[in-house]
Amino acid sequence: MSQSRNGDGEGAGEHPASDRFEEDVLALVPALRRYARCLVRSDPDGEDLLQDCVEKVLSRRAQWRGVNLRAWAFTIMTNLGRNRHRYVTMHPQVALDEDLGLQAEDHESDPLERSRLERALNGLSTENRSVLMLVVIEGYRYQDVAEMMAIPIGTVMSRLSRARRQLAEAMKDDNVISMRRPK
Amino acid sequence: MTEGHNTVSEDDLHAYVDGALGPRERLRIEQWLEQNPAQAEEVRQWRAQAVELRAHFAGYARSDAGDRALLLANGSERPQQNPAKDARSFAGIARAVAAGLALFVAGGLTGLYAPTLLPTDREIQPIAAADSLPRQAQSAFLVYASEVRHAVEVGADDQTHLATWLGKRLDHPLSIPDLSSLGFSLVGGRLLPVNGRAGAMFMYEDGTGRRLTVLLGRNDDNRETSFRIDSTDGVETFYWIDGPIGYAVTGEVPRDLLQQVADECYRQFEKSEATKS
Repeated sequence: MSQSRNGDGEGAGEHPASDRFEEDVLALVPALRRYARCLVRSDPDGEDLLQDCVEKVLSRRAQWRGVNLRAWAFTIMTNLGRNRHRYVTMHPQVALDEDLGLQAEDHESDPLERSRLERALNGLSTENRSVLMLVVIEGYRYQDVAEMMAIPIGTVMSRLSRARRQLAEAMKDDNVISMRRPK
Repeated sequence: MTEGHNTVSEDDLHAYVDGALGPRERLRIEQWLEQNPAQAEEVRQWRAQAVELRAHFAGYARSDAGDRALLLANGSERPQQNPAKDARSFAGIARAVAAGLALFVAGGLTGLYAPTLLPTDREIQPIAAADSLPRQAQSAFLVYASEVRHAVEVGADDQTHLATWLGKRLDHPLSIPDLSSLGFSLVGGRLLPVNGRAGAMFMYEDGTGRRLTVLLGRNDDNRETSFRIDSTDGVETFYWIDGPIGYAVTGEVPRDLLQQVADECYRQFEKSEATKS
């Protein structure tokens, strides 16, 4: 029998169906959905990561220090994304679904351009990708990113630099579909 | 140095692209870029990237009708799985199917992926005995740290049972290290094969979800080693062998933190040995 699921003892019955904390989390869902999708390779993976993150945020609410729920949730998402990425890297076939037309959304932009960008992003390590996304998409300051990821600001800068250079390089010669991340 | 024009660092260029500079600094960088076309081109690329990335992901920052259900999905009401562990949600099923299809297509085209056609289950496979302790510890970490709901077989709320059960399987009295002084709490543990014999794994997690594993396995040659470190792809393992048992502490955390964890585990294992003998 799995006893692990509700190990945090945060009984659902203790809280009414919805409270302030849950409303705050709900308000963050759009931002979290976007960030989740920034970290993974496909829409279903993004929704899956979002679901994992919300679940974790709710079950860990007792550990939240009461300031900046958004940054805290983003940190949790970053760690979940990293854990997940390691799994995908070990089992690269899971990553192939990006090419199967699973995109549920109707995006206006050129699908070819989109998949080109996606492929370039998928070549980044999850650490570099997270930093790039937190800075560029989410607009966090370097110092915030350092705190969220518990790394020195110098590391933030070097990851950002690697991400930008690698992305530029990959967009330049977009002739390789990498299925396996090179060592 | 003329007006600091020579002192534009790469960090300055990023800060410039990310709008993190005041007007005077911006002007200084702009002037410098005029003299440095290669860097100016790079900056132009970075800005174009940023625009493209924002456009690419903008559509995802939306609310869905089902969002409130995410709040309720916490724990029991979430559909629980069947034997296929990956298929814990519709997305998981879709992904598994998609992966299978993709493999089929890729395999058909190139023959390259034929050996991996069989869907890999998330259950850990018995690891070849030849694999060393740190390799096995890293495999276990990589597989189980990514599990959200099935990271462990027995949760932290049943610690006494966990210690007794795994101690019995390991044929070695066992106490579970308490790492709360380092900010990590026990998630739980599971049985898994180490060197082809029953071994034990404990998983810990900090407040932000960073995970660590502590692996114990039988060591039949009964020797001892000092602390050693093995690092593969950013996953660090401290390991040591102490008579009949080999220990490995694995995580993707800064090395000095992991060392503190290893020290703490070593100290606590030693202490419990001492009180038992």
